Order: sequence, then C-alpha cells, then structure tokens
Amino acid sequence: MKYSYYPGCAQHGTAVDYRMSVGAVFTRLGIELEEIKNWNCCGVLHVDDRTTRVALSARTLATSKGLDVATPCNLCYSNLMRARTALEDVTLKNRINEALKTKYNGNTKPKHLLEVIVKDFGLAKLGEQVKKPLKIKAVPYYGCLLTRPGNEFDSPENPMSLDNLILCLGAEPVRYYYKTKCCGGPILITDEELALGLARDILMMAKESGADCMVVTCPMCHLQLDAKQKAVEAKFNIKIDMPIIYFTQLIGLAMEIPPKELGLDKHLVPTDKLLASIEGGKNAGE
Amino acid sequence: MRKETILPESKDTAFRDLIIKSPGGEKIPTCMQCGICAGSCPVSHEMDYTPRQLVRMIQLGLRKEVLNSNTVWICTTCFSCSVRCPRGIHPTELMETLKPIAMSEGIRNKNAKFDNVFSDVIKKNGRASEFLLISKYSLSEPGMIKQAPFGFSLFSKGKLPLSVDKMEDTGELDAIFKLGEKTEEKAETKTNPGKKETGEKENAEPETEK
Repeated sequence: MKYSYYPGCAQHGTAVDYRMSVGAVFTRLGIELEEIKNWNCCGVLHVDDRTTRVALSARTLATSKGLDVATPCNLCYSNLMRARTALEDVTLKNRINEALKTKYNGNTKPKHLLEVIVKDFGLAKLGEQVKKPLKIKAVPYYGCLLTRPGNEFDSPENPMSLDNLILCLGAEPVRYYYKTKCCGGPILITDEELALGLARDILMMAKESGADCMVVTCPMCHLQLDAKQKAVEAKFNIKIDMPIIYFTQLIGLAMEIPPKELGLDKHLVPTDKLLASIEGGKNAGE
Repeated sequence: MRKETILPESKDTAFRDLIIKSPGGEKIPTCMQCGICAGSCPVSHEMDYTPRQLVRMIQLGLRKEVLNSNTVWICTTCFSCSVRCPRGIHPTELMETLKPIAMSEGIRNKNAKFDNVFSDVIKKNGRASEFLLISKYSLSEPGMIKQAPFGFSLFSKGKLPLSVDKMEDTGELDAIFKLGEKTEEKAETKTNPGKKETGEKENAEPETEK
C-alpha cells in the first residue's frame, strides 16, 4: 500500500506528537506514505478567496504523482475534498491550471488517514496487530471537517468509523452526543472566549460519559481540547483532566509501541494516568 | 430587537443576484425560514444575525447589513447548517462568498486582519508557521500578548518551533494568488452599492423555482 503524503502545516509545528505516532504506526503496518515534495498549505479557512484556495489544493492533488493523497488533518482533508468537487467545473479547472506547473487532471483522490486505516487497510487486518487490548473507555470525537460537507466513507451526522476502530483496539467507544460538534478551533485565535465555551461543552460531555480519554483525528481539535484545556478549566472554574489522544497514538498503544515514540509525553494534559490504566489492563466494561 | 421598515432604496438586487449565483447560493430563493441552520449552528447565539436571518436578508438584498454583520466572521465553518438545510442552501459557502466582498469594501475587524496576515504568510512562504503567524497578528492585535504563557507552554513541549516553515520552491504562489485578485475585481464590478430598484416585485419571492 502506497500513498502520496500531504502532512499539512501543523505536522511541522503544534502536532509533532501526531507526526511521531503516524510515523511509528504506519511504518509498522507497512503502509508507505511518500511525502509530496515541496507541498503547500491548503489555505485552511483563512485564505478567503475561494479560487485561490481551490488552486492551492489543486496543486497538491496535481503533484501527487498519480497516487491517492493521504492526509492526517481534517482541515486539509476537507479543503482537498471540496476542491475536488469545485474542480468538476471545467472553466474553473482550466483557469486554475493556467497557474499550475503540473496540471490538475482529477485522477487522484484525497483520503484522511483514518479512512486509509479503517477502509483501505481494514480493521480485520489491524485487529491482528493488536498485542494489548486497551480495556479503556474512549470518546470517539470526529470534529466537523472529517465528515462535512461530505466524504465517501462516513456519515456527516452519525459517523462510526472511529467507534469501530476503538472497538477493534479492545477499548470501549462511549455513547457521545457531540461526536461531530465543533470544538471552536478555527476561531481560537480571533474569538477566544467563544471558542473556549465550545471546548468546554465538548470536554464536559466527555467527562460526564465516564471516558478515560478522547480520541481525535485532527491537529486543530487536539490543540483546542488538549493545549487549551487548562484555559477552559481556568475560565469556567472547573476541573476536567481529560487526556486527548490522536487515533494513531491509540493504535500505537494497542500495538505496544513505547508511549514516548508516539509523542505521548508532549501533550499538555498529562497522559500518565491513562497509560497506567492501560498498563494495568483496567477493565472498563463493568 | 430593533424594528424598522425596510426602504426600497436599501435593497440591492445586484448584490442579491451576485450571491445567488455564487457556489451554494443557487437555492437561496427557496428558503422557507425553517431555522434548522440557526438551530444547528454552534455559535448562532453570538451572531448579530443568525444564518436563517442572513439568508432572508440576502433575499431582500440588504447589502449593507449583511456585509457589516459579525455573522460571516464568527462562523466556525463547521458545515452543520449546510448538510442539514432541507432546501439545499449552503450557508457556510455563503459566509465564504461574503468575506472577500466585505473585505473589498473596507471591513477591517480582527478576523479580517488575521485572514490577511494568514494569506500574506502563505503567499510568501507557502506554509503556515504558528509562531510567525501569531507574531505578525499580534502587531495589529496587541491583546495577543496575553497568549504569551500559552505560547511558552507549547514551546516547552517542542510544539512551537521558532523557525519559519517554507516551501523549497515558492515559484507558483504568485500565479495562484493572482487568481484571487481577478475574482475580487469581478465581485466589485458586479455589485453596485446604492443602485436603485426599478419597480421590482417583492424581492424575496422565489422567481425561478417551480
């Protein structure tokens, strides 16, 4: 299995832990991720001109050497998917192609790493790699842009792929009503008060569910829920203490990859207690 | 909420038509004001006008009110409204259509400033580096200094490199960003503020839908 890999900007910054865990897990699973040379930012939600933003993603899809483009980031993924739809407009495609050295031809498909694992690699095969069933309760948190405005692998309202992954690793996905509710990440810098309120709702619901951790698929969600968790606690005078784990880290733990290699010591919310309960084989089912 | 009569001269049909022609706007005339967009929106309680109200205002061509609302800037782009709208309107796409128009008309709030900083960084380097972005944005928003301890906590975990991430070859970026300049010009020439209406019937009436 081989993909062109589009890491996105966060992998070089705040999501260094995500990058480490992707490397550790995908190498062991034998899934080859070849980083696109000279890749560019997708424009996130902040390059306001639509044509420019579509062009940024068109360039990414065009330079993937005919391989599907795997990405770890919900924002990048969403932009690539939306660009692909927008580029079905031939006039727009031709206009954008004038600006590109390698022309976009629509032959490559964006895939989120979760899709690569759950759909392409397959949970049955992943199950064979599980050395240590996790025996914890975990919140499957998808965020907004993994499943919206639309992809071809999971439902925008009640997605299940992450639930099934958690189950496959021997853990219990808790019932969680805010699976796809916005964490506030995109407005964190400009409207912090509002963003922290959204994060509080997400985190409190997770805490009330009795989960040992939340599992995320996006560096923006992680920044908001892990790195900003202290700020949420301070602002609302509450105690949350909820470890936020990338799904790749969760896979790594079940494969008995050392936590340090998965970047688990780089979180702002300590993961020691979670690791201890995994180590002790805490039985969450009862 | 303040109530006042909508005067014919405050309606701008060219603006309305421009938005209806934009991606996700085709179905605006069919909006029945059901409010599922507002109910699904995680931040509608902080908006001047909810997405439902905004769609109605677009139907009416209330250009000034639409472009000056905080609605388009607070939107977190979560697409909940878009996937649920029973009429196939995409309010999220509308916000994205409206942002550049508002900016081209001189709206300079903190969100617009951040987007400008972000676009400039991408245009120059091709990639976003958190430290560079925040530093540049802080120049226009001094309140960001409060975030210094947060920045330090990220830095201490190796999550905030001070180096600038850059593409090895940024050669194509100029041409890519030029595409946008052309779009902006188009938007400006297409809508004409202060244009008087000429004996049109009630704007919000669906005109083309069966």
